[in-house]
Amino acid sequence: MHSVADPELDDDRRLRVQISERDLLCINGCGFYGTPQWGNRCSKCWRAHQIAEKRDRDYARNKTLLTFEKFEEKRKLSTESRSLTFRNIMKKSPSILSGGSGDNSRDDRDRRSSTATQLRTRQLSPDSSEARVKYTDWLIGNLPTSVVQEITRMTKYAENRINEFDVVPEELSDQVQTFYQHLNDRLSHNKFFVNQDPAFVQDVMEQVERYLSVTTYNRLFCPSPEEEAGDLSLQARIRSLNWVTSGFLEMKLDFTKAEVLESLDDAITECISINSPRRMDEKLDCLLKCCHCIFDALKKSGAPTSADEFLPVLIFILIKANPPLLQSNVKYISRYALPHRVMSGESGYFFTNLSCALQFVQNMNHESLKMDKREFEAYTSGQIQPPPSAANCGCNQAISTMEQTAKRFENLLTEQQKFLEEAEEFARQIEIDEARVMEDYEEVFQTYPKADLVDAMHSAEIEEQKTADMLKECGITQ
Amino acid sequence: MDRATTSASSEGEYRFKVVLLGEGAVGKSSLMLRYVENKFSPTHSSTIQASFLSKRIDLGDRHVDLDIWDTAGQEKYHALGPIYYRGSNGALLIYDITDQRSFERVKVWVRELQRALGDTAVLLVVGNKLDLDKERTVPRAEAEQYAKSVNAEYLETSAKENIGIADLFERISALMVDHVEKQRSAQVHTTTFTTSRRGIQLVDEPQQRGSRCCK
Repeated sequence: MHSVADPELDDDRRLRVQISERDLLCINGCGFYGTPQWGNRCSKCWRAHQIAEKRDRDYARNKTLLTFEKFEEKRKLSTESRSLTFRNIMKKSPSILSGGSGDNSRDDRDRRSSTATQLRTRQLSPDSSEARVKYTDWLIGNLPTSVVQEITRMTKYAENRINEFDVVPEELSDQVQTFYQHLNDRLSHNKFFVNQDPAFVQDVMEQVERYLSVTTYNRLFCPSPEEEAGDLSLQARIRSLNWVTSGFLEMKLDFTKAEVLESLDDAITECISINSPRRMDEKLDCLLKCCHCIFDALKKSGAPTSADEFLPVLIFILIKANPPLLQSNVKYISRYALPHRVMSGESGYFFTNLSCALQFVQNMNHESLKMDKREFEAYTSGQIQPPPSAANCGCNQAISTMEQTAKRFENLLTEQQKFLEEAEEFARQIEIDEARVMEDYEEVFQTYPKADLVDAMHSAEIEEQKTADMLKECGITQ
Repeated sequence: MDRATTSASSEGEYRFKVVLLGEGAVGKSSLMLRYVENKFSPTHSSTIQASFLSKRIDLGDRHVDLDIWDTAGQEKYHALGPIYYRGSNGALLIYDITDQRSFERVKVWVRELQRALGDTAVLLVVGNKLDLDKERTVPRAEAEQYAKSVNAEYLETSAKENIGIADLFERISALMVDHVEKQRSAQVHTTTFTTSRRGIQLVDEPQQRGSRCCK
């Protein structure tokens, strides 16, 4: 905009020359008078100018903050991989496999570490150590020692390499998948497994995946700040799309039924909790429960439970729940889960649906909702509010209570109206009756006059007669 | 990126994924329900869900575990198709014989599938609602000829009257088994199951050690 005029220079000029009216006006040319303290702006323009400056400052500060964070992240990542130096490991983390502690075991550990890489572990989190104990117990409990040793050796090697590697997630994913494939092939050809049910190999593979997903979670899940930023922007986008939930998705849900709303709430809760566990199977379990709740809601609404009805509701739940780190969770599962989990079975089907819903939300535009482009943008930017609909109002208890009260009021009003009409009718009837009674009375009165009246009339007649007579007499005399 | 789906784990055992593609209201879900539960109800309220089902089929000495995936058929979800049919071994393309438009949609899907999956998947075109034969607008001959032209089979069914449903799923299972076995015998000569060279890195092989870790 305008650069701030130097107030001193302005002062000088004022001393030397005659100040014209124009010099006193706001430099923005808005017609008001300006002041040197406000950079020759009027009060309004000065305020606007200050706000604009603050915005620029904030923006610049945020930018530096963000870049700093990125830098920190990168530094952390690189030091993490570097901190795996031999000395560090020796100092910090006594491996639980090495058992004993103290100086005398140190040499022993030194020797073992230099020969076998599996001792190169970092400090284990409680989750990781629990997973390790469970994993080892399972292997020992189900497999002969030679097989256990081989599997342990291979997984430990893979685990260490995963923690060490500094490669892009796609490559790491390829490697993890190849590792699964390799281990799977190796086990299938092992003497011990040849005579077993093929499903047993799969059980072992699931244990391996379970173990790896817990112990290398920090490395595999949301590995770069870029992905985290992607999650945040997705969350912001879903928030801006919240209006879509009010009737733009063509769902066959009955929002007036309390139990349907309950199922939807449960689905939202499960959808959010996908982010909590580390293990693939637990994450997929949450998704499965979420989807079953959706089917419950559809069933309670009396709608068919086919994919045609299911997907819109899943999208609805996704937008309503706006689950944290959704994209990272989806990527994590699709990159590092065993192929059969995401490609086949019920979990694979629902995971595919989740991916579809996610993609639909990401690419959602006026065309996918079949509406006007300007209308879509206005809703998204919050310029206009979507019309209230059953989908939204039904979910809002206050509004549904209000609706019920309003309905009750309406009933009361109609009843009152009816009552009033009846009262009026009644009043009219009374008037008519009264008139009729009066008539009757008159008639009766005419037909049957009272004795007093007759007497009175009679005497009045006599009186009149007398007066007339008297007048006649007077007339004569006069 | 595409991982080979495990279509066979041991001799005579198969696991296949079949997607149902078809416009909304052509009866995809009814078809599925009829097959798995032998039920037809306009509201499907009996089962938890009718969009994913798993069924084991015996074809003589071969056993097939069939995963049947229903897909959302509305036009606005069309772009999501590839996510659904990725890695599937077969596709049932369903249309309503009384609705020409649904038949045209099938043609769109066939083109897409052939582009995306090549010859890895078996296609079967299904004309549903045979019970409404009187109101038919898509002649049987036309559909048969079309199916032939895209190297697919053609069947007609009625979910309502339970005509041809069991045949349909058995047929596609048999087709997929044939397809896989044919491909496998072709592959025997050129065993090309490459375990990618980089991939070995997570596997503890002495000669591979240190190849990248110093980076």
